[in-house]
Amino acid sequence: MRCAAYNSRISLATATPGMLTLLSSRFVSSVVLVLVSLFAVPASPQNWAGAEEQLAGKIVSAIGPTTTAPTTMAVVVLNRSPLSTAMTDDIRRNLLTQLAVLGIHFVPVEQAAVTVQVSLSEDLRSYVWVAEIHQGANASSVVMVSVPRPAALSVEPEAAAMVLRKIPLWSQPERILDVAVSDGNPARMLVLDASGVASYRFQEGRWQPEQSLAIVHSRPWPRDLRGRLVLGKDNNKDHPFDAYLPGVYCRGSAGAPPAMTCSYSDDPWPVGTDPFSLNASFTSSRNFFSGVLSPAVGQLTTAPAFYSAAAVPGEKATRWLLATVDGQVHLLDGITDQVVEKLGWGSDIATVHSGCGSGWQVLASGSREGRGDSDVVQAFEVAGREPIAASAPLDVNGAITALWTESGGTGAVAVLHNSETGRYEAFRLTLACGH
Amino acid sequence: MRPSGLLLLVAISMSMAAPASTRPHYGGTLRLAMREAPASLDPADSSQPGNFAFRNLSRLIFDTLVTLDARGQAQPGLSSAWQVDPGNQRWQFTIRRGVTFHDGMAVSSDAVAASLRTANPNWKVFATGEGVIVECDAPTPNLPAVLALPRYGIAKRSGGKLTGSGPFAINRWDPGKKLTLTARDDYWGGRAYVDSIEIDMGKSFREQIIALDLGKADLVEVAPDQARHAALEGRRIEGSAPAEWMALVFSRDSQSADEGKLREALALSLDRESMNNVLLQGGGEPAGTLLPNWMTGYAFLFPTMVDLQRARQAREAIRQVPVWSLGYDASDPLARVIAERVALNARDTGLTLQTTNSTLADLRLVRMPLPSLDARVALSQLAASLGLPQPKFDGDPASSLFAAESSLLQSQRVIPLLHLRTAAALSGNVKGWQEDPDGSWRLQNVWLETGKP
Repeated sequence: MRCAAYNSRISLATATPGMLTLLSSRFVSSVVLVLVSLFAVPASPQNWAGAEEQLAGKIVSAIGPTTTAPTTMAVVVLNRSPLSTAMTDDIRRNLLTQLAVLGIHFVPVEQAAVTVQVSLSEDLRSYVWVAEIHQGANASSVVMVSVPRPAALSVEPEAAAMVLRKIPLWSQPERILDVAVSDGNPARMLVLDASGVASYRFQEGRWQPEQSLAIVHSRPWPRDLRGRLVLGKDNNKDHPFDAYLPGVYCRGSAGAPPAMTCSYSDDPWPVGTDPFSLNASFTSSRNFFSGVLSPAVGQLTTAPAFYSAAAVPGEKATRWLLATVDGQVHLLDGITDQVVEKLGWGSDIATVHSGCGSGWQVLASGSREGRGDSDVVQAFEVAGREPIAASAPLDVNGAITALWTESGGTGAVAVLHNSETGRYEAFRLTLACGH
Repeated sequence: MRPSGLLLLVAISMSMAAPASTRPHYGGTLRLAMREAPASLDPADSSQPGNFAFRNLSRLIFDTLVTLDARGQAQPGLSSAWQVDPGNQRWQFTIRRGVTFHDGMAVSSDAVAASLRTANPNWKVFATGEGVIVECDAPTPNLPAVLALPRYGIAKRSGGKLTGSGPFAINRWDPGKKLTLTARDDYWGGRAYVDSIEIDMGKSFREQIIALDLGKADLVEVAPDQARHAALEGRRIEGSAPAEWMALVFSRDSQSADEGKLREALALSLDRESMNNVLLQGGGEPAGTLLPNWMTGYAFLFPTMVDLQRARQAREAIRQVPVWSLGYDASDPLARVIAERVALNARDTGLTLQTTNSTLADLRLVRMPLPSLDARVALSQLAASLGLPQPKFDGDPASSLFAAESSLLQSQRVIPLLHLRTAAALSGNVKGWQEDPDGSWRLQNVWLETGKP
């Protein structure tokens, strides 16, 4: 029996260089430069996998032997798809080249023995290139080829007071819950999804698969599944990571081969990061934290149910912002729990240490007018009670499904569900100081 | 820790302006109204209309072995994996472990096999330890996509009771009138966000929109020709890609070359643009094919423009012109106005069509939802529903689909008219709305802003 192929993970052979990551602060400048150059410029000529050659071959076959040699032809290319003008020109040029290789001679329409109208169209899954061939008094014939549609490209945002940078880490069809990158030589990346933890090693300029550790569980996952990866402290080789999922705790352990042990657990999840730690109980059949906190934030051991939390370090104490289930943002200062009015933030917030401004900023997801189901992420300074925007909103091409402060706190990992490709994309968010 | 002046400037110019993006909330009851009034919920009941409402309801209650994503690609459903023998006739599906029917009984391979046999008696279906084997009477390379059709929803039928394994269980069922569904906490795909769904059936479009305006419904259907008007009145309207096919279908094959010419004259006389722009208020697209362009990428090759000159030439070449009867569904106001317009267009060419409510007509005005997001399955299902020969697919996907559809159209049994968009009106508290291009709703992902966690 042969297996039907479905739902397959991204092929590493086709993985883009965008699956690089920021390995450590030492490499910030060079890697960001590489990534910006890869992702901010228009696409290089698309590899259409020989589609032009294939279509040219079909056109010539459909014409058959002609009385004139070489065959004179006029070709018109119409774009009926979202392909750019540059790409359309590129395809036209390549198609003409392929036809010329097959002995076609191009002339104006009125002198042509054959006229061909090529329409660059699309269906649900592919581009469909259709050639209508008109030859003398004969009925026109039609030939076509289909070409897989590539993934969309992302673009860096405009510069602002602080610049929020988005650095692609990983992309796959399955929902990504969290990603953690550890320094080292080679650097390693862990990707948490519903099925388990996959580890990758950075080698030869790309992430190479290393190992997949399955999460065995018998209870169904909640529909809006969430999960968090926490790296072991100080590159602890015996205990490299913990993974938290609803009702399940997994502990990674070193060995040959490395392993992961999972068990049912209602233990609280860490929602902060060093040096600001806070644990909170996650409601295992839902998508939020119950509001029970440990250790307490000052005198407060409970808070309203919330989706995410962000530390706001201060000179005397650390306050916490909670994005609560009722759509509000609460500020816990250790004594009082106050609602911060009219922020318009979404459900996901995280703290990032940039060294700019006050040193720490809060990243918040949200929506922008007229952007449909695409979210934005924006950095805020929190002085006093009022968060103040510190960066321009960064448009992401889809809905944010996860936003966690990275271990170490210098960045945050965000996951979005790309509305165009349907894939999940994890990226690292960092803040660069303004000019 | 004072923000700088620059930061304040940024704050003024760059704050988020729209309502916040938020995670889904759990809880609440989603209230729906629909025009159809099915007497049965059995997915394999072929007497039930194959309409959007029945399809959407079926998917809430019954799982299929395979599902199709929004791009028409097969994804695991109740079956977690599948394999096929060389020849594409014998398929083996592994049943997902730990799944139960709404009554708590395990979804066993025996139960799945029994359900598939009921849905398609022509298949040989065997239960194995962990799955089922389906043997088709002919090569069926698209079987996974076929099994994603609602009629192959896995149901347990015992003692006149029908049980599914889908995200919602039947709580109350008053056939043709009211259905109440309750979310299953232990659903394998994750509990739905709303606690329950209440569906009022047999409501006219007008009754539905009034219920929405009065706050008695959260989600109602809107007729394609009313969608634009409803949006202009400030309602929240969500529409699909053109996903419903409207066509004229002859009851028999053309009996002579003359009859073929008259059919051609009728096709050329139809002013589809005007039907769409005026009668449908832009609620669809003129159609020259069975499958819409977004599904195939080639539908633009088939002309949809009226050509009265050629129509009259074709008509005048025939000496004896019969009077044709044109049947339509009398309970469908849109079908009535389209049928009358078709008769009017035909008259401009010198053809006489008499509209009738009778099912025994020379040709019928047919409305059908696209059966599947898989183009080959959709074309095969449409052909089967219309009594046309089953299309054959040889060669590469795009070319073979084009050849198969061209062949069906050349039979002159069907004259495509329009592809209609489906539309729904939603109250402001309905979030997470998802609709596939074929008009299918994914209600298990809908949540209510007012729902309590």
